[in-house]
Amino acid sequence: MSLGGGPGVEARAAGTDAYFELAFSPCLNLVSVVRRFVNEFYSQVLIDADVTSRLALATHELLENSAKYAADDLTSIRISVSKEAGSTLVAITTRNRAETEHIARLKATLDELIAAPDPQAHYLVLMRRTAKRTDGSGLGLGRVRAESEMNIAYEVDETSVTLRAEARIPETPAQ
Amino acid sequence: MTPIDVTPIETTELQATAQLDEARTTINVSFRGNADARAIAPVDAFLVSVHEAAARLGVQEVVVDFHAFDFMNSSCFKAFVTWIGRIEELAPPRQYKIRFLQDSGKHWQRRSLDALRSFAAELVSIQ
Repeated sequence: MSLGGGPGVEARAAGTDAYFELAFSPCLNLVSVVRRFVNEFYSQVLIDADVTSRLALATHELLENSAKYAADDLTSIRISVSKEAGSTLVAITTRNRAETEHIARLKATLDELIAAPDPQAHYLVLMRRTAKRTDGSGLGLGRVRAESEMNIAYEVDETSVTLRAEARIPETPAQ
Repeated sequence: MTPIDVTPIETTELQATAQLDEARTTINVSFRGNADARAIAPVDAFLVSVHEAAARLGVQEVVVDFHAFDFMNSSCFKAFVTWIGRIEELAPPRQYKIRFLQDSGKHWQRRSLDALRSFAAELVSIQ
């Protein structure tokens, strides 16, 4: 499988762990294709349809973010599900190169997001703010934190951005 | 149902329609499909038209059916936030309510619609 001329995709499910990694040419039209694949892939791995939905939403928002601001023709995404004692760790990591100006703006957005103690309250602040914005919604990463209930961390250098969203899902007796 | 002057969205990925009910008190809107980055401009324009029709006709409520709505990205979600903001700008007697009909099997809807209800609890309800 190859998407958009990118290097390709690797997926593996071993025991209770599974990961999916894709590198592709950033193209907004492909983001929904990847989200649908992620939804299908992880519905086979995760019992909880709500968790799968959260993962799919976060995948879509993080990939759109990467695709919008990528400085070259390569964006990569890795989604992993790992069983831990009493919980399951789900994580999404995206990497792409970006222009310095975009990196500075993203860093400011993420620093504010991560510092906000209440994801839901901060999301409402972003929603109030978005009506006045003309350059994008400014909601995507806040949505990942509030609606997908995932913590966000990042690493940046002068030319590249790595974003990681993760959540620990407690095991339920049904699992 | 009476057609109103709102151009429907008819793309491969997304369809949306708006009709006035017979009592002329409610506009029924339905979304079907997937609203991603390609749908931002159509969704924006559609909701602007729905709002203008609702204000012009003086309806009490707009019912938005999400049962066949598979996904909405944050930019299209913004269009709904902006729509609610436009209602808030109307004089209180002219403000109308929005009632969303959700599909509980589409889990993203509960989270996104809860956020919209938290944003404007006096205007938004979910069924």
